[in-house]
Amino acid sequence: MNSLRLKAIVQKEFYHLIRDYRSLYLAFAIPLILIILFGYALSLDVDHIKTVVIDYDKSWQSRDFTTKLNASPYFDVVAELDSSRQVADYIDHDRASVAIHIPPDFMKNVRADREAQMQIIIDGSDPIFAGAVRGYLTAFAELYNSKLLLSFLNRQGQATIKTPVEGRIRIWFNEDLESRNFIIPGIIAIIIMIVGAMLTSLVIAREYEDGTMETIKSLPVHAGELLLGKSIPYFFIGLANVLIAMLLGQLLFGIVLKGNFWLMLIATSLYLICALSLGLFISSVTKSQLIANQAAIMFTYLPSLLLSNFVFPIINMPQALQWITYVVPARYYIDILVGLYLRDTGLTYLGPNMIVLGVMCVVMTGLNYVLLKKEGL
Amino acid sequence: MTLSPSESISVSQLEKKFGKFVAVNKITFSVKKGEIFGFLGSNGSGKSTTIRMLCGIITPTSGTGMVAGYDITTQTEEIKQSIGYMSQKFSLYEDLTPYENVRFYLGIYNVPQDQWPQRIDWILNMTHLQDVRHRLTRELPPGWRQRLALGCALLHRPQILFLDEPTSGVDPVTRQHFWSFIRRLAADGVTVFVTTHYMDEALFCERLVMINAGSIVASGSPSEIIAQACPDKPDADLNDAFVSLMKRMPD
Repeated sequence: MNSLRLKAIVQKEFYHLIRDYRSLYLAFAIPLILIILFGYALSLDVDHIKTVVIDYDKSWQSRDFTTKLNASPYFDVVAELDSSRQVADYIDHDRASVAIHIPPDFMKNVRADREAQMQIIIDGSDPIFAGAVRGYLTAFAELYNSKLLLSFLNRQGQATIKTPVEGRIRIWFNEDLESRNFIIPGIIAIIIMIVGAMLTSLVIAREYEDGTMETIKSLPVHAGELLLGKSIPYFFIGLANVLIAMLLGQLLFGIVLKGNFWLMLIATSLYLICALSLGLFISSVTKSQLIANQAAIMFTYLPSLLLSNFVFPIINMPQALQWITYVVPARYYIDILVGLYLRDTGLTYLGPNMIVLGVMCVVMTGLNYVLLKKEGL
Repeated sequence: MTLSPSESISVSQLEKKFGKFVAVNKITFSVKKGEIFGFLGSNGSGKSTTIRMLCGIITPTSGTGMVAGYDITTQTEEIKQSIGYMSQKFSLYEDLTPYENVRFYLGIYNVPQDQWPQRIDWILNMTHLQDVRHRLTRELPPGWRQRLALGCALLHRPQILFLDEPTSGVDPVTRQHFWSFIRRLAADGVTVFVTTHYMDEALFCERLVMINAGSIVASGSPSEIIAQACPDKPDADLNDAFVSLMKRMPD
């Protein structure tokens, strides 16, 4: 490793970057767009569910149920329909996702201590959403029941009766259960992959396409110098992006890093090196900028989005897919980030994840080194 | 294998196979110091493969070779440091200016930084690019880019200069300038190893080797080669000799 040669390569890569300022724009526009897109548009939280009620009972009891439902933050009663035949129309046109059908005799049954049934129709086209709605409705019905029971007992003169078991739920680490708090760490992981791997996936392929790889091979350049020299500019761009993402997360969404900043920086650097070497690997293997770019989307961006616990929980995946997730760096990085962002966990918990990322860095760099050596560097 | 004091390149039984395909078939030749040595052959004859072995870019399958006093199989690093190589594509970074390209080469060749200003001036004056030093290379005419590529290959004052089809795509006037420059270099003691498709250029070479399908089919001075290839045609030129030699299949 020679410092003058390394400096020459870094400087050359830097010139490429500022001359092709479009990719530089992209490198800084991507984090902005992603944060805004994911932060505002992709909310995994379910609330204000559009609900229609078909009330055949028209009793005090059924109205009470509807009013209480509408008062909850989860449900908005958008219409009260006269006939259940209109339901399909509402659901088809996306004007409602839930229909509650209260049959006649609802109140009579409640009063007579018989089972008072009501039919609930949920639009199941988005299963995750439908599952959440079902959970909310079950909980809501249970709460309503227990209130009915209590008031009944109170009227019977047993004024001191209490609910036998009451689970007082307190959620740790993401107190408001805001999915946004979980999304920011996920976006940071995606941003690093996109900027790190997609941009570096072009840099060796470009040398092949322009014929300058032949020149490099004829010069006394070492494989290690070329790898490091090509990585350094992108490493700093990647770090700058992470800082921008952290700042935006704080300014726009009030999501503050709870854990140690330096731990965050070390973990980020390891993950960034993984991303850069993955990009360089793709670049050396494909030798074509077009294919490299597509391969980078296939092998870096998509796994980071889908197989990292970010959007889909790994625990629910089939076993074969779960095994694949073990080689996805984002899986470990997101775990670290969630720990640092939401729980303020220390090195003892994060250590193993960091070690895995470190090993990945070493393996990928080694692979890249061997590839370039074989090419005659 | 060693080089005699007067030789700067010497190869013996040099062979390169890609799988079953024999690109270079056990060739033996040597180049004297300060000589302009022409390496001729049709496309796909093994010219570029040979040059790439000599420059330490690829390793031979078998055979031995010495370039500038270093072994081509084990001392590629030293070879790369002591030669200049300019390939048929101008091999510059076109989104960099001539000044930035020159600085890149100076760094790669590890030229001490205190010598940089004078080397930069020397090369930019020699290639007449001083006025356009801060223009992007891609905006320069092909002939100018070719001068810059040559200048970059000479920055570290190499003992041997490899030129792989250096003048393809360049106008005749520029080619003439180019060759007079090459002759001055050789006069200063630099060995020039050149491949070309232009037979008038091959005439500038002191010695030639012609290669066909990986084997050497003729070697010697241009006039010797013409005499060898076309013994019954007294008015034959190098072009006739080339065509006749490339038609024959090697044994």
